[in-house]
Amino acid sequence: MPARRRLTGGIWVGASAVCATGVAAVLLLIMAYIAERGIGALSLSYLIHVPRPIGIPGGGVANGIVGSFIIVGIAALMAFPIGIFVGLYLGVYGYGPRAEGLAFVADVLAGVPSIAIGIYAYTVLVEPFRQFSAVSASFAFAVLMLPLVIRATEGAIKVVPRELREAATALGAPDHRVVGKILLAAARPGIVTGLLLALARVTGETAPLLFTAFGSQFWELDPTRPMAELSLQIFNYAISPYSEWHEQAWGGALLLIFAVFFLSLLARLSFLMQKGRGPGRAE
Amino acid sequence: MTETLDRGPGTARRRVLIAALGCAGIIAATAAGSPAAFAATQITGAGSTFDFPFFSKAFYEYSEKHPGITVNYQSIGSGGGIEQITKKTVDFGATDVPMDAKELARAQGTILQLPVTLGGAGIAYNLPGIDKGLHFTRAVVADIYLGKITKWNDPAIAKLNPGKKLPDMAITVVHRSDGSGTTYIFTDFLSHVSPEWKSKVGTGKSVQWPAPSSVGGKGNEGVAGLVKQTPGAIGYVELAYLLENNMSYGVLQNKAGHWVYPSITTVAAAAATKPDISSTNFSIVDSGCAQCYPVSGYSWVVLYKKPADAQRAAIVKPLMSWLVTAAQPIAKTVDYVPLPKNVQETALHVIGEMEK
Repeated sequence: MPARRRLTGGIWVGASAVCATGVAAVLLLIMAYIAERGIGALSLSYLIHVPRPIGIPGGGVANGIVGSFIIVGIAALMAFPIGIFVGLYLGVYGYGPRAEGLAFVADVLAGVPSIAIGIYAYTVLVEPFRQFSAVSASFAFAVLMLPLVIRATEGAIKVVPRELREAATALGAPDHRVVGKILLAAARPGIVTGLLLALARVTGETAPLLFTAFGSQFWELDPTRPMAELSLQIFNYAISPYSEWHEQAWGGALLLIFAVFFLSLLARLSFLMQKGRGPGRAE
Repeated sequence: MTETLDRGPGTARRRVLIAALGCAGIIAATAAGSPAAFAATQITGAGSTFDFPFFSKAFYEYSEKHPGITVNYQSIGSGGGIEQITKKTVDFGATDVPMDAKELARAQGTILQLPVTLGGAGIAYNLPGIDKGLHFTRAVVADIYLGKITKWNDPAIAKLNPGKKLPDMAITVVHRSDGSGTTYIFTDFLSHVSPEWKSKVGTGKSVQWPAPSSVGGKGNEGVAGLVKQTPGAIGYVELAYLLENNMSYGVLQNKAGHWVYPSITTVAAAAATKPDISSTNFSIVDSGCAQCYPVSGYSWVVLYKKPADAQRAAIVKPLMSWLVTAAQPIAKTVDYVPLPKNVQETALHVIGEMEK
């Protein structure tokens, strides 16, 4: 009964289309709403000044933006090398109980709530030193990013065609050259995408920051001291009674959305561009 | 194939280098562009969310007068403030309810607790067509929160508000879902005015809400938001949030029988009736004077009598003295209630005990 099959097919395609549109619509609605509320707050002064109290105009989130870069940057320096190496290990030698155990640990780590990781960072890096610090926030972020980096690297390595590796070995390349020059190069688009998505994941995290970076109204570049961070500023402004600060919170939210959107876009683009050129492509 | 293989890693390295240089550039630029203020001594404090707007303005002005001293206060909640001073990660904590004996016992030394500002909770509601100024007696508020009055057109409310068209609408009781100083003050008030509340529910930062129609909101902003969104809702909201958010709120009959709105004046009047407060005897709810607003209470700074770092202590002591005296007029500019003169003296006396 072809008519009936067509009908069934049509219904399913239609349902998928509706769901897909729904997902896209939710994203667009969120972005449009935040843009509408936040665009009024965005100005040059907002981007280059530090926060000011209520009733004193001209406050901004410059220290929060810089703080976010520093905290996420240090977190990346901690998480990327370790994550990539562990991912490499899993991708290249990822068989047997040891590798499976490691992969399991990474998966469990990915499921730990960020606030719990924040409290852990507080216990090991804040309490003993009796000082809140940006670096303790970076540590928490690094722990959050680690499983993402590991799994992305492992996944990217594992999809490199086996023939490529065999060919290199057959030509007499030693193991370290096979891994470094062939596998890593071929897996690069996937790894870079994973790194960018890991960055996007922690950008906008607030919970672990409350007990680590602490926040600050001032310029702070010393990572051993309390530091401002954009999402923390948004949180503080949003729960205040004042419409002036609410507007600044919306502005901050818009900036954050931009940042995450930009990172995701970059991840997508770099993947597509590098994939088109890289040696991983079967020719 | 060989060509692409050679090019791949090379361009990657170059790109990484460019990215690294870019990052370094951004950091260097911001470092150069920022004022050289971070050699200053930074005092850190943490705690009460309620205190944050007042503190941020007061400490901003203090830094203008005393270059070289900055105060970084972060609102992590009263419980967090107590926790951090206990662990000595901050120079001072701030809490809406003073530390009790159990909390003091956990601290690593003698704690001083001084009142720094005042707050009051207003009765906010959302009734279509009815503005600010619905009359409530203390007993009616208690009965609503006990779940005994469940409709807006209940005779007990209607009797107090002749001429107002009260709708036949169920009352939704809104309370704080998180532990809060505002809840403490409000339940302290209810315990004072209703023996039934005192025996059934009691006073606390969070309690078991007896009314069946209760819903919880996180923070003052959460309660304010729920009340604004829910027709028929009633909730207790901190004064600054009431004033800044254009909410409808009630006028309450006080112990002396007068009808009073929550305001900077009426909360201060309640505080002035009892200047000899201490961290164990601090309740000013349901005070007796004509102007007194009955749902009022203090917020506190907690710090060590003998801080570990004498150099920082030498900065903190005058800072706190300033905060409880000269800084008090600043409170009004952010809708906060300044300490009455006699309470300022009490606070100064407490600071006097601090050892440098």
